[in-house]
Amino acid sequence: MKGAVCSRMGEIQRGASSLSKLGAALFMLFIIMAVFSGQIAPYDPWARFEPYSPPSREHILGTNDMGNDILSELICGSRVSIVVGFGAAIMAALIGVVIGLLAGYFRGPVDEIFMGATDVFLMIPTIPLIIILAAFMRPSFWILALIMGFLWWTTMARVVRSRALQIREMNFVESARSLGFSDFHIIFSDIFPNVYNVVLPKFMLTIASAMIAEASLSFLGLGDPSMKSWGMMINFAFSRGGFLNGYWWWYLPPGLCITFVTIQAP
Amino acid sequence: MFIARKKAIRYVMAIFIIFSLNFAIPRAMPGDPVMNLLGEDVIVSESSVAEMRTKMGLDEPLYIQYLKYWSDIFHLDLGYSYHLHSEVSKVLFTKMKWTLLLVVPTIILGAVIGTPLGALAGWRRKDSNEKIMTMSFLFVYCTPPYFLSILFIYLFSFKIGWFPLKGFYTTGTPGDIVYHLFLPVTVMTLFAASRNYMIMRGSVIQEMQMLYATYARAKGLFGREILFRHIFKNASLPIITLVALDFGFIFSGALFVEIVFSMNGMGNLIYDAILARDYPVLQGSFLLITVMVVLANLLADILYGLLDPRVRWQG
Repeated sequence: MKGAVCSRMGEIQRGASSLSKLGAALFMLFIIMAVFSGQIAPYDPWARFEPYSPPSREHILGTNDMGNDILSELICGSRVSIVVGFGAAIMAALIGVVIGLLAGYFRGPVDEIFMGATDVFLMIPTIPLIIILAAFMRPSFWILALIMGFLWWTTMARVVRSRALQIREMNFVESARSLGFSDFHIIFSDIFPNVYNVVLPKFMLTIASAMIAEASLSFLGLGDPSMKSWGMMINFAFSRGGFLNGYWWWYLPPGLCITFVTIQAP
Repeated sequence: MFIARKKAIRYVMAIFIIFSLNFAIPRAMPGDPVMNLLGEDVIVSESSVAEMRTKMGLDEPLYIQYLKYWSDIFHLDLGYSYHLHSEVSKVLFTKMKWTLLLVVPTIILGAVIGTPLGALAGWRRKDSNEKIMTMSFLFVYCTPPYFLSILFIYLFSFKIGWFPLKGFYTTGTPGDIVYHLFLPVTVMTLFAASRNYMIMRGSVIQEMQMLYATYARAKGLFGREILFRHIFKNASLPIITLVALDFGFIFSGALFVEIVFSMNGMGNLIYDAILARDYPVLQGSFLLITVMVVLANLLADILYGLLDPRVRWQG
């Protein structure tokens, strides 16, 4: 079971090598869009124009029920997705790498305890738990990202652990140990740099999961109301008739954005 | 025996920790725990708040509350929803049946369709048909299920009119229910299948490099025979565990799909509970989903033991 989940990421990673370059390019595009959203967006996403107008020269993707320019909303929404994605992934990587390294390096009882905890965390239905926490706290999207990261370190810990188990047997670690370096030093300066290649794909996958989760929460109306995110746009288009009236320019772009920004991960 | 016991301890731990978390959340959150436990929109006067506090035992020490919480759970008492004017457990069990009607076929079909297709795709990685299929599954994999549902319902129900727009049934006959379930189950199956597809594809690519596959080839077996007689068995073992771990994920996806299709299951129950701030229903749903996820994992472990002799002999 452990091996299965450990190798899962690597398997998916290999799944789409032909697409990976395109995915990476798209991802970079979205990051640039998020960073410079204030400069790129043609209008203020909260500014109001004629509502329900179809795509035109002034409003390339039309306007929504409030008369907000949808393209500007889309560009500013990328910021929320990127922040939640990276926030969750950084948090997950911090916890996962430390636990994985310690479990893999020390083995024995430390390993038992940490991997037991990982198994337990893996069983928590995360989306329902996040829904409950969000319903109680109405968190800002920063907090949301941290909560997700705190729940999603498990698979990261597993891949790092199995890699650490391999590396600790290698000769250079052996020699470092015989030279008398401390465990702490060996873990962080000898083993840590070598788990990078299993952490990175996992990191990207966590970004994708967090983005989809954020979009889902916003779809339920649990997102940060002070920010416009893609999920919220779909939610409004769905609940305020954009979908039944066939205003494709309202609900299609945010959905496709979510898909294209996450397609880099697998 | 050792492995089995270790697993059992982990399951019990998981249940224990999640249930304790559920106990802690309404009490740790900002605001009055009475409000957090009853739901925010329940209008109560000053005196009835005090009365409720005594009735729910919230003025007692925490450890007594905690013990009472567990005793309630063992009596299947998940609290009372003042919004629905009904016991939470009763509401949950009626709604859950419908959601399971959506989830169980999805998981089975997703595994049955996704696994062999993924195996074939891994086997013929260079084939252009397989590449197109991988790309389509990748697209589904990266799309939130509710968005896919919106697209499907728009296309097939609204534009073409093949399928009903909402609900689980209009007349309630089995045929009618199947007719209503077809589109949501299709969306969810695609979603589940895409996950199994990706994993199986990678798993086969990995197994192909093993020596036994080369030996089978050297022995003179044909491609398909090697794949389905030898590689498939080994490559599909991880799928069982992954399907179980995915259960919670698929279940969560089903909640969103239900909302889009206006189906009266747990998804809409949770959605309404969020809008109404009906916390007992939210918490009860969370507990129920947790129990189901743990049970699914337990089932997978048993199944795994039956299928993999190495595990069977150890445990």
